[in-house]
Amino acid sequence: MGWWRLGRPVAACGGRGGPGGTRGGLWGLGGSAVPRAGLKKFVLPPDYSGITLPERPKLKFMEKMPAVPKARREPRQLRDIRGPSRVATDFTQGQYGILALGGGYLHWGHLEMIRLTIGRYMDPKNMFAIWRVPAPYKPLTKKSLGHRMGGGKGPIDRYVTAVKSGQLVVELGGRCEFEEVKPFLTQVAHKLPFLAVAVSRQSLQQMREEEEEKRRNNQNPWTFERVVTANMLGMRKYLSPYDLKLKGRYWGKFFLKHRV
Amino acid sequence: MRATKRPASHKALRVAAKMAALSGPAPWRRGWLPALQLVRRGSKAVTRHWKAMHFQRQKLMAVTEYIAPRPAVPERCLPAKRKAEEEEEEEYGYARLLRRQVEEVFRDSRMVAVCQYNSMPGEDMVLMRHYLRKHNIEVKFVLNEIIRPVLSQSRYKNLLPLFVSRNILLVSPETKAKEMLRVLKGVPQVNLLGACIDDTILSRQGVENFAKLPSLEASQGQTLGTLALLPSQTCSTLQHGAAYLTALLDGHIHQLQAGAGKTESPAGTEPAQGSGTQ
Repeated sequence: MGWWRLGRPVAACGGRGGPGGTRGGLWGLGGSAVPRAGLKKFVLPPDYSGITLPERPKLKFMEKMPAVPKARREPRQLRDIRGPSRVATDFTQGQYGILALGGGYLHWGHLEMIRLTIGRYMDPKNMFAIWRVPAPYKPLTKKSLGHRMGGGKGPIDRYVTAVKSGQLVVELGGRCEFEEVKPFLTQVAHKLPFLAVAVSRQSLQQMREEEEEKRRNNQNPWTFERVVTANMLGMRKYLSPYDLKLKGRYWGKFFLKHRV
Repeated sequence: MRATKRPASHKALRVAAKMAALSGPAPWRRGWLPALQLVRRGSKAVTRHWKAMHFQRQKLMAVTEYIAPRPAVPERCLPAKRKAEEEEEEEYGYARLLRRQVEEVFRDSRMVAVCQYNSMPGEDMVLMRHYLRKHNIEVKFVLNEIIRPVLSQSRYKNLLPLFVSRNILLVSPETKAKEMLRVLKGVPQVNLLGACIDDTILSRQGVENFAKLPSLEASQGQTLGTLALLPSQTCSTLQHGAAYLTALLDGHIHQLQAGAGKTESPAGTEPAQGSGTQ
């Protein structure tokens, strides 16, 4: 509590006489509030009665490559990174998770990091975690270093999992609160090769509602979607046919959150 | 019409599909795309790095940005909305209990004095409470957020401006304002703001004046005495004439008895006349 808070203008003269009353502040005739302790709220502890923990609460070990390795080398198909995800967009069993806000490939190292970090920080008696991404299935080739172009496609180097934006990577649940789980989920999210955030059911819903709200109260009469579908000014010459679906919110593997 | 000179290889790659547009029923409705796109320049669509956008696309992105709504009156100039807090208040049983206690206090006590409370040493507080308790005055600590809704819905609305900072209530079933003021005078940290005595709201001055008045019983006795004064005199007023006459006649008797030694004959007629007049 410092001197700068006393000069803070508070527009609460209307709320003084209301049924809500004053909350935790000394109201003088000047109108600025000095914080004061109010009535203690005896909040009931959360009800975890409906939660059952599975037998193996920790994350399953993911193999580096599938049991039957692919014989044929596959083309790159970067469209499995592009655009919004259609799988694993919502919570199933858990309450908290890591949401991918961009596309990318997760290889075995990333998955091990996730598994070990979450396994280290979580409490197996009260929490459980499940994977929402499959084990690496997509073979990536790499030519040996220092050679010139040509000579065919390189051999299979490793296997990766493709993740699109809007997909959940892991889910966490059990007898715990978001504040307990958030620190290590954000720690894991920072280490992923794409932008990711720790979310709970409420925060995800709130995110979606905010997006919807933004879309509805946008004051700009010109939206990307409108321009593209009507091909205004021949814009589609400079845009991709995918932009009809992506509507300017995605660019390559990136998800542009600030766009409506 | 060739406006610009294009190299042969580019011309080979580009196929204008204008024929497709013209052949349809409504060419301005169907968007058309060139059948082959220029693929030789630049990187793929999905890159690890942030791919540079075509300038036209950059312009389109700039034009179609989100513009937030701006109401005529900014939200920070309007009174703050406290919707969620009102729902929370009803849930807390403790708050409900405190409100019920406050209502009981206002119902059961004749005198309720509101004082400002500044922090004072513990022992002084205990002493003050002790002295007040001797006169059957209780000290109650109240929270503004509890008492404000209670008062605004009862008939004590005019007490609302008093409940601004830390307050205590001195409640009593009797109205001993003089003793209360004497105790409070010795405690500088507690300042009387106002009181509600017998459903009458009094200010600090009003309480002092009230204390100077005699107690209710004494003033009732005084009123009765004043009223009973006249009836008590009725008997003597009625008997006043007769009594005066009797006194005069007694005086006359004494006069005559003093002169009775001289003559004995008027003594016989006096008692007959005195008994006739009575």
